[in-house]
Amino acid sequence: MPDPVVHTHDVCIIGGGLAGLRAALACSTAGLDTAVISKVHPLRSHSVAAQGGINAALGNAEGAEHDDWEAHAFDTVKGSDYLADQDAVARLCRDAPAAVIELEHMGTVFSRRDDGRIAQRPFGGAGVPRTCYAADRTGHNLLHTLYEQVTARGTRVYEEYFVTSLVRNGGRCTGCTAIAIPSGELHGFSAPAVLLATGGFGRIFSRSTNALINTGDGGALALRAGVPLKDMEFVQFHPTSLFGTNILITEGARGEGAILKNRGGERFMERYAPASVDLAPRDVVARAIETEISAGRGFPGGFVHLDLTHLGAEKIMERLPGIRQIAMDFAGVDPILEPVPVQPAQHYSMGGIDVDIDGSTRLPGLYAAGECACVSVHGANRLGGNSLLETVVFGRLVANTMIADLPSLPPPDGALVREAVRAEKSRIDAILARNGDERAPAILRDMKAAMFEHFGIFRDETTMREGLAAITALQERCRRASVGNKGTVFNQALHRLLELEGMLLLAEAVARGAMFRKESRGSHTRTDFPDRNDTEFLVHTLASLDDGKMAITQSPVTLGMFEPRERVY
Amino acid sequence: MILRIFRYDPATGTPRYDDFEIDPDPGMTVLAALFAVQEQYDDSLAFRYSCRGAVCGTCAVLVNKVPRLACRTQVQALLDGTDEMTLVPSPGSAETHPFDPAREILIEPLPHLPVIRDLVVDWDEFFEKYRALGPVFRPKDSPPENERLMEPGAVHALEAYTNCILCAACYGACPVDGKDPAYSGPAALAKLYRFHSDPREARDGSRLAAADSPEGWWACEFHTNCRRVCPKGVPPDIAIGKARQELQRGGRKPSGPGRP
Ligand SMILES: Cc1cc2nc3c(=O)[nH]c(=O)nc-3n(C[C@H](O)[C@H](O)[C@H](O)COP(=O)(O)OP(=O)(O)OC[C@H]3O[C@@H](n4cnc5c(N)ncnc54)[C@H](O)[C@@H]3O)c2cc1C
Ligand code: SF4
Ligand code: FES
Repeated sequence: MPDPVVHTHDVCIIGGGLAGLRAALACSTAGLDTAVISKVHPLRSHSVAAQGGINAALGNAEGAEHDDWEAHAFDTVKGSDYLADQDAVARLCRDAPAAVIELEHMGTVFSRRDDGRIAQRPFGGAGVPRTCYAADRTGHNLLHTLYEQVTARGTRVYEEYFVTSLVRNGGRCTGCTAIAIPSGELHGFSAPAVLLATGGFGRIFSRSTNALINTGDGGALALRAGVPLKDMEFVQFHPTSLFGTNILITEGARGEGAILKNRGGERFMERYAPASVDLAPRDVVARAIETEISAGRGFPGGFVHLDLTHLGAEKIMERLPGIRQIAMDFAGVDPILEPVPVQPAQHYSMGGIDVDIDGSTRLPGLYAAGECACVSVHGANRLGGNSLLETVVFGRLVANTMIADLPSLPPPDGALVREAVRAEKSRIDAILARNGDERAPAILRDMKAAMFEHFGIFRDETTMREGLAAITALQERCRRASVGNKGTVFNQALHRLLELEGMLLLAEAVARGAMFRKESRGSHTRTDFPDRNDTEFLVHTLASLDDGKMAITQSPVTLGMFEPRERVY
Repeated sequence: MILRIFRYDPATGTPRYDDFEIDPDPGMTVLAALFAVQEQYDDSLAFRYSCRGAVCGTCAVLVNKVPRLACRTQVQALLDGTDEMTLVPSPGSAETHPFDPAREILIEPLPHLPVIRDLVVDWDEFFEKYRALGPVFRPKDSPPENERLMEPGAVHALEAYTNCILCAACYGACPVDGKDPAYSGPAALAKLYRFHSDPREARDGSRLAAADSPEGWWACEFHTNCRRVCPKGVPPDIAIGKARQELQRGGRKPSGPGRP
């Protein structure tokens, strides 16, 4: 093999979503030689799909004048079922108003109140209307704004580079290897600081609101480099995804007054959450819908109705134009005239790469931020509008951490990165050399089905044990899987197989975490252990890989502001 | 149903069309059909995808000679003829390969951009033209402590243009882009107009001046293909027309072929 291409930078940011771009902006502004590496063009990152909004205690809404970051922090901690680290939550909520104002100053066109200030809508689990939005296209507007800022600074963006491994040397991370998708060449990246901002892993489940590219690559990269994953059992199921395609119908719809109804036309949430009804947090509403459906009160096929018709055409067109278009395009339903068929689907990964409050992993030189990371600010259940916030707040914070650490991180030896590229190349060549009938798409489908069935909204020991066995068998099949396409340029069959290897690792981490946690908390509901158990399980779980074997350990939760209480809505 | 797909492998260099027979499920989109081809017939077929929900702008391809988002286009509606669109012919949409719209769907890469492989085009030129017009917010004053105030009405007016997902469908549909590679194209101009009309900017004409050239505002011939194909309802032709009118009110003589 000829000498591989190695790109050298001060900072390599893997991921061009909101977290990656916010970090890139801070690094570029600080004068660092910054590279963004992304498997899709940054504007195609999943952040673009975020609809409902971003939380900050601006206190702009009527009746919310006294809102402050502490109230936001309380709602977040309660929403997390007390598993979030409260020092991290305090940071998130304290920085929120400045983060949103900063985005406005960068040009984001937020929706406005009549008095010209940023409008705020109610969201589940929030005491007052606190969610700032740009109609129902908040992620789109934020991502375009940050992309504009990053582009204006001339930051180097490696578009369509698929990162396949992290380079680890002498107890630190010194770069990564990546396939340049358009040519198929394997390149090396050498940098003293590497940030993972690779987003969520929703696509390990059959029903998911996530983009097809949300395969959780960063978690698998970290795990293989010796960094544990935290709280992987906490997977958020969004109550309202469009029946059929599982495209998201934002919680903002209920924020604007939409109502959930079962087949009998009953507003069933009154029975499950008498105080907050349709705007109870997501775990509560998702469980309620599943219960209605399994009790035979759903519609055939397994869905309930989200009724917006009473909101009227004008409000729907103004506040929810995007979801109207989605319902019409993908379900042939106009929400102005008819209720929208919805069912719960995987939506968000609370767990992720174990980082401290500054975004550092335990491997020097490796950092993580955004949905792929677990600080933890969301604990056992994330509140809507808090994760866009997390991407920009912690994207900036982790950049500051890297800027501060860089003087003590000597430039890595490029020769070691070249060596890593050669090793990775032989691994990939060996995969391409495999032949046989076992192919990635079939394994992928089986994994997704197994995860939804065995690790979905309701879990128990027996079902999960079967599920773990299924995952292990799929890992075995994956080791034999081959691709028909032996070419180089845009070999998507190969990329999908590489993604699948990582997804199966994450699936195992979710499974093992869920089996370890013998209690119900937030999104993790065990029918065999229906109560929260703070004596034993007010802890984070850590999944790590040692010599190919996965083990679960635990680490303490940081309390301090709010004592754990029963969570009632 | 037959999917007739344009194929190109740079290793061999010769383009061709392949036919694949697919059973359409109810609700099947063109994107889902492409995945079915990859899975059932040929895993070397290359096409771009990401959100599958018509919001990320990744998957625009030429479907039956019309640029569309693959993930938003329903296969059945194409076969039934209920989703037809007529465009002013452009060099890229010229009839090159016959198909029977009642049972065949012709899928080709977006025109006016170089093909990398199969349905994947090289976007560089499209994004280069976008970048060339300086698409970044330039406020007229230093930032206040809180947000800059904006009228809700002004927000709505801007949304028509901020909704652009840079999918390049308009670029592939525009007859002028097809014949004049120097033309900025509808998306880049619509984006420029978005900044020009942002009340938080100085509105001193510098945004209009940025494209006051034969390759900018004045190149448009108002075929309106851009607006017709836009999956997000963005009207680039209206932005261009308004920009020209404003320039003309400022004393600029029209120098392009079109009439605003
Ligand atoms: C439909 C939907 C709606 C949502 N709405 C809201 C909302 O209203 N409010 C809210 O707060 N949150 C919302 N969320 C959650 C929120 O959008 C995400 O958590 C957040 O955008 C994640 O941002 P990120 O930057 O961490 O990752 P992403 O935006 O997912 O970006 C990940 C990046 O990593 C890159 N990448 C991944 N793997 C690799 C690899 N191997 N090599 C190279 N690059 C790689 C990708 O190319 C991409 O650029 C929503 C989520 C969904 C699914
Ligand atoms: S204007 Fe419309 S068609 Fe053109 S790039 Fe933007 S979204 Fe796509
Ligand atoms: S896949 Fe995102 S627009 Fe089609």
